[in-house]
This record gives sequence, C-alpha cells and structure tokens, in this order.
Amino acid sequence: MDRRTRNYLSGRFGDYYRSADPALPPAPERREWGHIPWTSGSTTMVRHQSIYDLGDVADFLQREAPRHVYFSAARYDDPGAGSMDDKGWQGADLVFDLDADHLPGVDPEAVTYAEMLAACKDALCRLLDLLETDFGFEDVTVVFSGGRGYHVHVRDDGVADLDSAARREVVDYVRAVDLDVEGLVRTRAVGGATRRELRTGGGWGRRTHHRLRSFVTDVRDLPADEATERLTAFDGIGEGRAETLLDAFVDNERAVERGNVEAGGPGARRLVEALAAETVAAETAPIDEPVTTDTRRLIRLPGTLHGGSGLVVRRLDRDEIDDFDPLVDAVPERFTRRSVRVAVTDPGTVELDGDTFTVDAGEQTVPECVAVFLMTRGRARKVKE
Amino acid sequence: MRPDPLYARYPFLDAARAAVQAADISPPRLVTEGDPAVDRARERVERALMSGTVAPETPERWSDRDELLSYPIARILVSLVDVPAAVEKYADAEAETAFERLRTDFAADDAELRSVSTPRADLSTFLDEFDLDGAVRRVADERGGSAPDAFRVDVTAYLRLADPDWGADWRLVNRDLADGAVPVATDELHRLLREAVRRRVASGLPFEVRGSTGGDALAAALDDDVTALRDRLAERERLPSVETVTPERFPPCIQALLDRADGDLPAHSAFAVTAFLVSLGLDADAIAERWPGLDDGNLSYRATVLADDGGGGSQYPAPSCATMQTFGDCVNPDERCETIDHPRRYYAAAVAAAERSTSDD
Repeated sequence: MDRRTRNYLSGRFGDYYRSADPALPPAPERREWGHIPWTSGSTTMVRHQSIYDLGDVADFLQREAPRHVYFSAARYDDPGAGSMDDKGWQGADLVFDLDADHLPGVDPEAVTYAEMLAACKDALCRLLDLLETDFGFEDVTVVFSGGRGYHVHVRDDGVADLDSAARREVVDYVRAVDLDVEGLVRTRAVGGATRRELRTGGGWGRRTHHRLRSFVTDVRDLPADEATERLTAFDGIGEGRAETLLDAFVDNERAVERGNVEAGGPGARRLVEALAAETVAAETAPIDEPVTTDTRRLIRLPGTLHGGSGLVVRRLDRDEIDDFDPLVDAVPERFTRRSVRVAVTDPGTVELDGDTFTVDAGEQTVPECVAVFLMTRGRARKVKE
Repeated sequence: MRPDPLYARYPFLDAARAAVQAADISPPRLVTEGDPAVDRARERVERALMSGTVAPETPERWSDRDELLSYPIARILVSLVDVPAAVEKYADAEAETAFERLRTDFAADDAELRSVSTPRADLSTFLDEFDLDGAVRRVADERGGSAPDAFRVDVTAYLRLADPDWGADWRLVNRDLADGAVPVATDELHRLLREAVRRRVASGLPFEVRGSTGGDALAAALDDDVTALRDRLAERERLPSVETVTPERFPPCIQALLDRADGDLPAHSAFAVTAFLVSLGLDADAIAERWPGLDDGNLSYRATVLADDGGGGSQYPAPSCATMQTFGDCVNPDERCETIDHPRRYYAAAVAAAERSTSDD
C-alpha cells in the first residue's frame, strides 16, 4: 500500500472514530489490548497492552485510527505484562468464530462475497440454536466480524474458567465430532423385556428424534407407494423393511413420539442412522476450532473498523440477525456521503451499500465506501481528486 | 482431640482442615514425639504409591484422631518426596479411597441403613463441599439410582470435572445435553465427585516445606521416610520389561479383554488392553494381525499415541490394577494377582516363572 492511500485511509478511519464510541467489553481493565497500525504498511500487531497503556479508548482510536483493533477474550491479573506467563490468567469468555472461508460446500472462488456471507449467517443461526437450546447459554453476544464471518462471545457464569480441553468438548459437540451414532439408540429394560429407544431427552439424539418425527409426519401424508419409495431410498431399507417401518411408525404415533424404535425392526436402525447423518449435516456449525480452544486469543473489538474491508465490526442484537445484511448494515454511514477518486488495479464487481458496482481498471470516481473497500483489500490506490 | 468421625473418613473436607487448625497441633512436634498419626501418615503415602489406596491395612490400629491428623502430615511427606508421579498417585489414591467410602455411604443412605455408630456422608454435604449444590439437581427419585438421567449437572460443571479420556460415553457430544444440563446416572455423578476430590487433594501439592526453622526441622525429621518413599516409588516406576509376547501368560484381566474384543470394547477397556500390548513393544499392525477384534478403526491412532513416549518415559503408561478395578476391568483375579499391583508385573512374573520351570527341566 502506497503512502497516499495509507494516509487517506488512516485519516478517514480517524474521522469515523470521531463520531463512533465503541462499547467496551465487561472488565476492560483486565483485558489485553492489541492493534495493528497503518504505519509502514506492516502487519505487526502491537499487543500486550493494558487499557491504561491506551488511555481513554475513544481518544486512543481517534488519535491512532488503527487499521485493526483487538481485545483479549481472557481476563488477567496483569494484562499489560510482556509475556503470557506473567499475565496471570483469570478466565476467558467462550468465543466462537465462523468464517466463510471454512464453510463446507462453499467454494470462495465460485461464489460472491454476498453469497458467502449469507451462507455464513445460516451457519451462525445453527450455532446460536445449539448454544441456546442445548447449552442453555443466555449471555450471548453476536458480532459481524467486518470481514468474512461472525463472532459469538459467551459470558455466562461458569464458562470463564473452562480450560482448553473443556472448550474442545464444546467444539466437538457443536460440530458433532466423534458422535457415536449407534449409541443414539439405547436398550432400556421395560418390565422384564428390553426395548430399543432413540434418546429423546437432549443432545444429538433429541435433534435426530425431531427429524424422525417430521419425517414420519411427511410420510404419513403420502400415498402408500410414495411412502415406501421415500423409505427404500435409504441404504439398507428394502420393501420388506419399509413395510415394517410404515406399520410401526406411521400407524403408531405414540411409539415415534417416545422414540421407541423396537417395533420398526432392523430397518429402524438404518433409518435412525440415516436421519442422524442428515441432522448432523444440517444442524452442525463449522466453527473454527483454534479460536474457541485458545483461551488467550485476541478478538476484534465490536464498533471498530475492519482494516481489510472498511466495514464496521458490528454487534448485533438477537432480533436484528434475521434482517441483517452486512454489505448494507455494516457500511459506515460516514463513508456513504461522497465519491472519491481511485486507481483500480484489480477490477471486478463490488456489492455494497445496497448496490452493485462494476469497477473497471484505471482511474475513476466511485462512492467512498467502494473506494475504501477496494483500497483496504489492495485492489485500488488513492489518486489526487 | 476427639474429632468428628466423618472427618477421619474424609480428611480433605474444609471442615476437617478447620478442625485440625483449631486443635492447634504442631506437625513438627508430632513427628519428634513419634505420634501414631505420623506412622499412619507414612502408611497413607506408602499405600497410595504402592497400592492405589490410602485405606489402612489394619483399621482397628488407628483412632479417628490418627486418621484425621495423618492427612496433613501425609501432604507434607508427599511434598518432601517432590516427584510429580508421587503427587499424582497420592491424589488419585485419596480420591479412590474417598470414592469407595462415598459409594458405601450413599448406598447405605439409599437403603436407609443409616447406622448411628458410623457417621455417613450424604450427597448434599458433598455437593455443597465442592460448590456443586447449585449445579447438580436430582431428577427422579422414583426411577431409582440406575436411571441414566437420575441427576442433571450444569454443563459447565460437567465440563470442568469429566475427562474425555474416560471414554466415548463421557464425551459431551454423546450426552443428552439440553437446556444447559447434562443428565447423568448416579454412579456417573459419583465418578465426577471422585474427580472433584482428586483435584482438591492435588491442589497446592507439592508445597514448600523447608524455609522456616520449623519446616527445616520437620524435613530433617522426616528425611529417612522421604528417602524410603522415593526408593519405593522408583522401584515401582521400573516396570519389568518383557520382550517376549506369550498371550497365555497375560494376566486374567487382559486375557478377558482380548476374548471380549470384537470391535466395540468401551474406550477405557480398549485403551487399557492396547496400552498393555504397546508396552510389550507391539505396534498397531502387529496388534491388528494377532487380535483383529481390537482393530476398531481407532487402533492405529491409539497405538501411536500410547507409543509416543515424548522422550521421558511413556506419556500414557499401561493402567495399574487400581485403575483396572475402577473401570470394572479387573476380572477373574487369580493367586498371582494377590502379589502384584500392575498387569505388567503379573506378566513379568508369569513369564519368569515359566522360564524357571523350563530351565529346571
């Protein structure tokens, strides 16, 4: 990045911070702070700072207008100590990172930025469902990362002192890693006999059970031959087994509700396993494991600007998420008021602020948010107006 | 001093420690005066290191006072021995003993066999002790203790105590997590409490005994004991190495696991039997070839991790008899089992005996 571009961006980031006042996380004085400045174009992070090193945060942001701003998920006795060992770890928020780069089935080369972000928001909703329905977490902060995804900060009582191994268990649950699918059906003694039951009380068993129930509801409404067809589409279920399953489940709502798969015969196990696989594919969230298991991680401060997009790292209320469009709602209002002149080196289409811009190579005037987006991504440089 | 007999059985309780402090008893004086509590402390540590329990060999020999006071002195001894393995083994043995006593006490509680002469611990006292009173809820008395969801444990408390290495059933992903709570069976709750005890005992160990006049005198007075314990520990650490692989001389527990192995051994059992075989120098391929039932898809990972000694002795040594007992894998013990504390010792002894008998021929 050349000097003119750097100066321009740093100046405009400073302007943004003059009217923005990012909300601080709980216990800011116990956190480690870090930032990457614009100077020298380096990507070296200034870290191991306490909030007292920054002074007033709003003032610091206006003065320094950093390229990226971070705080630690952890709380420390002495957050400004130069080495991690000397900081005195006290606990850490439970943090999740969803990054469009890591979404299964989404090829970053083949889809647009907007499509990638939409897929990421779907994953976010799956993650929130797991965190709220299964884990019962209540103190959940959702943040658009300003780049390619979302962060979730959980600060419920009891999470702070979980160690890395415990956090890995949370990750494995969310991703259904090492799920014992066969174990979802267990044998229970019922009055002298045994009965095979799908676990309905919670966990991946309950989620599979929900899917089984809605599958049965769907099949119940179908003509007999179509119902059989739906069932025989599964591996290991032939017409005989399909018939047993239809007799057992479709005609016996109570059995399905209780998760009793005994009457379904050998086909029931196949069906449950297939539905469990569907459940896992549809309901897990591809969170980035190291972010969650690293208890000393720095994470972007909500309300600051992402130096690789010019978008706001935006905290989202729970009821905002459905309608949130990052390419509109995370565009700083300050960068939407005028147009500026840039030299484009990497042309292409940019979707931003509710519009689609086809940007050619060479010097031209574009809306400032588009200019900032291209410059921060290294696709354009600033030229004289 | 006539302590609450409950403290004698569970000397790691906060109240037990407070009672010791209130009695204003000086460990150095106990040591110099040859108090029986010191003898009991010595036994406590020795049994912990050798046999995986801290229960006395002859309970009638010791008073409640000896039992209670032996605990802080045992902690001093372990600190002076100052070997990581000693702290681990000691904490595990205290936990194991407490676990066995708790199971007895809770069972008596359930069956309403409360005896007036023996004070029993009750569950709520223990939950309270480890700040779990708010985190654990009894769900259904009527379903009985064996119900898989007899209790619900807050997920954060569960994650703090449960160790994924205990087996696939303990992995959070395989639990019926709902609304922030993990349903657990009664015996699983006891296992979690055992872990809470282990951590309580291990925390703060080893501590610095020397550095004050009293501390230096104490360390000097206990010097012979510490040396003896270190020797015993070193001797125990040197498990015999047996190069030959003769399955018919394997201990009964390992033989039973190999007989049962058909791809679905519980994780702890698969770990135990693989660790035993790896310790004889077998690798995953050799194991899979001879015992295809162990080749459950994770064998090669397990064998690799177990064989990785990280330069300083195996990271995951083959489990001892005490561990095998805890997991219910100690089966069909025979006469030789009476003389050993580790399946590998059994095997070494069996091989040695067989060699003796052949060379005598």
